[in-house]
Amino acid sequence: MCESPWSPCCTAHFLMDSSNEEALDIIVTNVVATFRTRCHLNLRTIALEGTNVIYKPEVGKVLMKLRKPKITASIWSSGKIICTGATSEDEAKLGARRLARCLQKLGFKVRFSAFRVVNVLAVCSMPFAVHLIDFTKNNRPIASYEPELHPAATYRIKTLKATIQVFSTGSVTVTGPNVQNVATAVEQVYPLLFECQKPLCK
Amino acid sequence: MCRILMVHREIEQLSQTYYNKAYQHESFLKVSLQKKEVLAGCCVLVSCRLLNWPITMATILCLINADPTLVGEVYQEMISALKIEAPIVLITDVIETHIQEYKISSLHLPEEFAENSKDLTRCAVALVELAADSWIVTGRKPVPIIMAAVYLAWQSLRPTKQRLKTSLEKFCQIAKVNKYRPAVKRIAEIKEALCKLGKEIPWVREAVTPDNVVQHVEDILQHRYALLRRAMRTHQDALQEGRKAGFDNSLTEETDSVQSSELVEQTPNSSSVKQCEPNEEGAPQPRDGDNNPCTVSELHSGPHERNDVELNWGKRVLFAPPCVIRAKRRRVEQPELQDVTGDEEISDSEIDSYIRTPQEARDFALTQKMFEKS
Repeated sequence: MCESPWSPCCTAHFLMDSSNEEALDIIVTNVVATFRTRCHLNLRTIALEGTNVIYKPEVGKVLMKLRKPKITASIWSSGKIICTGATSEDEAKLGARRLARCLQKLGFKVRFSAFRVVNVLAVCSMPFAVHLIDFTKNNRPIASYEPELHPAATYRIKTLKATIQVFSTGSVTVTGPNVQNVATAVEQVYPLLFECQKPLCK
Repeated sequence: MCRILMVHREIEQLSQTYYNKAYQHESFLKVSLQKKEVLAGCCVLVSCRLLNWPITMATILCLINADPTLVGEVYQEMISALKIEAPIVLITDVIETHIQEYKISSLHLPEEFAENSKDLTRCAVALVELAADSWIVTGRKPVPIIMAAVYLAWQSLRPTKQRLKTSLEKFCQIAKVNKYRPAVKRIAEIKEALCKLGKEIPWVREAVTPDNVVQHVEDILQHRYALLRRAMRTHQDALQEGRKAGFDNSLTEETDSVQSSELVEQTPNSSSVKQCEPNEEGAPQPRDGDNNPCTVSELHSGPHERNDVELNWGKRVLFAPPCVIRAKRRRVEQPELQDVTGDEEISDSEIDSYIRTPQEARDFALTQKMFEKS
């Protein structure tokens, strides 16, 4: 469907079908990545000597915020670190490396390792409203919709490990293990949404 | 719970079966008593759904008096653990049972306020169907919509001054039901949809506004499909007129811009060149079955404005989800870093900004100690 080579960047353009030249923007809003420092980290030292740091002794972690890229890191004394807030996989890696350098400068024997993107959140807007009941009926049991609990219908693609939330306004949020899966999930769900864009006429 | 709800014996038996299964399941083995009670409620709910007994989660919530978030959590866990595919409850199916809760028959109220439940149900069902066709129902909780429909139905069945002056709060008091705050918004949305159809009634001379639309509700509901067709036609015609007028204006503007770009020596005005081309990648067409050309505003859009046009596709259709019609202008956050590879060099100066100097660290530690002491 997408003719241009796709790259993991902040936005991806998705051509809806070959006859239709309109493109759909998939905007990555959050990338969660983890890495390890392979050494113990003294959280009190980080809280004392680091700026932009919030110490949470009750949960045994420290939060550190970077400005560029705009990332928040949760740091545990075991050396495990989770970074959130990046808008692309590469940005997440850069932020993680900057953080590791910070910790090195604070005197820890950090070895940047086991970097892995664990979750990507993207949003996309369909140019039409979606009738959620029809969408759920057409796609059971993969789709589920409980309006009393949540206004969106949920569609899970097991093979891609992706979860799609579809709102009646046509807004779609997708979570998946990486940007490629997220984009593929949007490609797969688009025709199903297209079918349900109007309530059944009487 | 089944006895209170007066459901069939099969529902009671089915819910008992599910409860026994869930109770033994590992997800619910060591949970609190409260969660087990909630689980029982969820079993009743799912059994009712499977056996086509119309019931809302709100009814179960009232019965077991539990936190909606907890009930939602337990319900999702239970259907996933027991692999149940519960059918969706249609809002129109639930209206009749829901109206039983409203104490507005002649037994409970004086004549000017009383209403017979059959007529009320008929009118409320029609209002909810209209709301569903106008994108008011999808994605929303059903109970406030039902409340709004019942209130409007009650007013419209006998639109006396007294009834029209009665607010939703007062109505809920006299009907002895708890008011749901979202119902106020739903009332406004349903009235807006009614007004769109009310404008098309040929024998109504005065302007139909949310203030006077209740008097016309019966007529609107009776002829709603014909009025809907007329309203869509009127809307299409208005759009065509708008495009034609805008196109004529743009021709004048384009001639001006092309002339001014000719005066600019070095840089051709590329946006005006794009504008002259038929805009195939503008905002997508409204799905009304027409192959309408893009509106002129899209011909002038740059990539930034294109997003706004796409977001406001709802303004070009007669009915759309309210969030689309009144779309908030999304703050477009420009990505701070462009062309990031993840493997760039990291300079020391960037990192130093995140580290306190020894003096700052000492001051910070001292201040902390002072705070702790006080």
